[in-house]
Amino acid sequence: MRLGDIGQIALVVAFALAAYGLVSAALGGVHRRPEMVASARGAGYGVALLVSVASLVLLAALLTKDFTLRYVYENTSRDAPLDVTLSGFWGGQAGSLLFWAWALALLGAVVLAVEFRSYRALMPGFLGTLFAIQIFFLAVLAFVSSPFQQHPAALPDGRGLNPLLWDDGMRIHPPLLLAGYMSFSVPFAFAMAALLSGRLRREWLQPVRRWMLVAWGIQGAGLLAGAWWAYHVLGWGGYWGWDPVENVALLPWLTATAFLHSVMAQERRGLFKVWNLGLVIASFALAIFGTFVVRSGVLASVHSFAQSTVGPVFFAFLGVTLVAALCLLFYRLPQLPPEGHLDSVASREASFLLNNFLLLSIAAATFWGTIFPLVSELTRGAKVTVGGPFYQQVNGPLALGLLVLMGLGPLLAWRRTSLMALWRNVRWPLAAGLLVGIVLFALGVQRGLAALAFAAAAFTLGSIGLEFWRGVRARRAMTGEPRPVALWHLVARARRRYGGYLVHLSMVLIAFGVIGSSFYQTEHVVTFRKGETHSVGRYTFTYQGMAEHVEPGVVAIVAPLSAADGATALGTLAPERRIHRNWEQQPVSGVAYQTTLPWLEDIYVILSGWGDDGSATFRIYINPLVSLIWLGGAVFLLGTLIAAWPAAARPRASVLRPAPQEVLVAEA
Amino acid sequence: MLKRSLLALLLVLFAAAATPVSADGHLERQALEIGKQLRCPVCQNLSVADSSSQLAEQMRELIRKRLEAGESREQIIAYFVERYGEEILLDPPRQGFSQLVWWGALLIPLVGVVLVVVVVRDRLRQREAEAPAVAFFSEEERQRYESILAQEIEQAERTRLW
Repeated sequence: MRLGDIGQIALVVAFALAAYGLVSAALGGVHRRPEMVASARGAGYGVALLVSVASLVLLAALLTKDFTLRYVYENTSRDAPLDVTLSGFWGGQAGSLLFWAWALALLGAVVLAVEFRSYRALMPGFLGTLFAIQIFFLAVLAFVSSPFQQHPAALPDGRGLNPLLWDDGMRIHPPLLLAGYMSFSVPFAFAMAALLSGRLRREWLQPVRRWMLVAWGIQGAGLLAGAWWAYHVLGWGGYWGWDPVENVALLPWLTATAFLHSVMAQERRGLFKVWNLGLVIASFALAIFGTFVVRSGVLASVHSFAQSTVGPVFFAFLGVTLVAALCLLFYRLPQLPPEGHLDSVASREASFLLNNFLLLSIAAATFWGTIFPLVSELTRGAKVTVGGPFYQQVNGPLALGLLVLMGLGPLLAWRRTSLMALWRNVRWPLAAGLLVGIVLFALGVQRGLAALAFAAAAFTLGSIGLEFWRGVRARRAMTGEPRPVALWHLVARARRRYGGYLVHLSMVLIAFGVIGSSFYQTEHVVTFRKGETHSVGRYTFTYQGMAEHVEPGVVAIVAPLSAADGATALGTLAPERRIHRNWEQQPVSGVAYQTTLPWLEDIYVILSGWGDDGSATFRIYINPLVSLIWLGGAVFLLGTLIAAWPAAARPRASVLRPAPQEVLVAEA
Repeated sequence: MLKRSLLALLLVLFAAAATPVSADGHLERQALEIGKQLRCPVCQNLSVADSSSQLAEQMRELIRKRLEAGESREQIIAYFVERYGEEILLDPPRQGFSQLVWWGALLIPLVGVVLVVVVVRDRLRQREAEAPAVAFFSEEERQRYESILAQEIEQAERTRLW
């Protein structure tokens, strides 16, 4: 028996075990037989084990370069270094689907270990939904697109991985996004469990919210890693191209963001119940849609969809899931009445409503733009392209609104805020925003829109700063702790809240970076002869001549430029062109970039061509503030970790106790 | 040896694509601007100006030549549309079928606004209609709740953490 056979057998057995688990969980739920539910849990662990075996077999086959497997042949080659070979795991269709299934099986096992005892009543539905998802993926893997398909005889060498996927970013970005996509299954399974069991009071909210936060964090990290990869590998001076594949990854993150906000209105006030369940369903459906789009090539063209092996089955799965979930939601509608009312437009609840409106508008417009080429091709046979400018014009204003709301919302009280209180809260952030706007205008920022956007970001920054400052002041008044200690305890005691504010802070940092680079990026194409010096903006560059490096399977042409800002030398920037064997038509740019102080400008250089006379042409971008995006990414991770950390250990009082005093506020 | 000759071959290949940039900065900027509106046909969602592929390089060269020959921006874009179809435009045209994408993007937030307004008005009205229901509380109960409320407010004021 060959290695590949073991993997294939593990997949088929895992499929059978998942099917058993589904039946066992369903029967256990219907006939109230706890031992059957426990047996289904065992099946969950078993599936995790078997899919792990299959995944390790594929990894072993890749590492030993077992070219009897078609997948190994297509995704690595003998001279590929170890890390590139590892990327081959998720470099192709079958492998990335196996990774998806593996990650879900492992996460499912973790969730079972953590939550099984706390949410026994939800477990039959949770297990059933989880198994249904796993059955689909395992069936695709075992019977439609198996990574263990074999050639009759081993081939001498593999074709190698697409050179765009050789970069370090490839070790992080795709697995994070695949893991993000799959992790939306967990909150979805809990929501389905609540709908199936009819236990629709407050019990289900906590696991759904917790695991949605996890999924949202992973997906957000994946998006940021993607931006980083685009910036330093794709070599076009930008980090986000509104590519269909990027767009569909953004969609579930947007709906999850909306959910994480509006769920607070449900915890506090019992509002928006149906809406929130809808957002959970939408997030999962969009995650499946994202996996489907990436894997079926449907958006490249209808024809590649028809030829793809997994496209139609994915489409069917998506349709069945959506119909089933929505029918179930509709069936339970009578059990989901709102427990309160909206009291005022100037309230936290109303700000969440506005937040949801803005986020979903961005999601809907992005979805529409992404599928429009398909609509056009299907209805009139002609393809169109919907590129960056469309999304910038449509989503830009909505994102600006979101930025302002992020500063305003936390200043509003639940139920209603008097205008006086609102003014007291809003005046300092507003002053900060106005000040920044005026200063920028005086400094000669001529574009009104840029000044406005910066002012909005400053307003929100002021508002977040105010929240932290007030918290620290109150704590100091109580305990007399020094400021840093007070800040530490403040964050530690209200992790969800201050973790959330840190995420807001990260969004402001990212906003600064996006505004700076989209309004003030400059691009120069300059040809140098050897030894020549040219100046670009404030900087001067001297071309040192071209060299070549021959690495296994790769020829790299390096053309170093020494850069200086006035009299200060900035060091050498060495952009490359890398040409991979078997992929000569697709040379990859090796970008060289450096961030300069104090204005945080990135000097970003690409080698775009050369002549026989030893001259070289460079594309030099000056990108202001882009480094703030990466800083924002780090803060995003920190904030998400703080918010997600130990929420399980201390359930919030407001979740469990429908605070009686609130009933009377309305009367007063 | 083989690698050397491969490199030499590649150098020749690329030398053809790499073009000395004209001294005319204005022309270069114009070419770049036109390139920004065209999609690189062999790339994933990159403009001709942004792409480093050979085809994009050749297209940029073609744009430059046509500009030098005195063609206008519109003429050059029309030329590419004729050759590659409407698909070449990165920004869908605001006429014909493609304007639907713009209308859709306008309509989506509008529908959202209407929905939000309807929901808010509905919920606000419900509150008014049901307001008297609060009288279910006896005077005694009300006082008890109010004293709890007063305590909690006082506590919150003290910590100022709300």
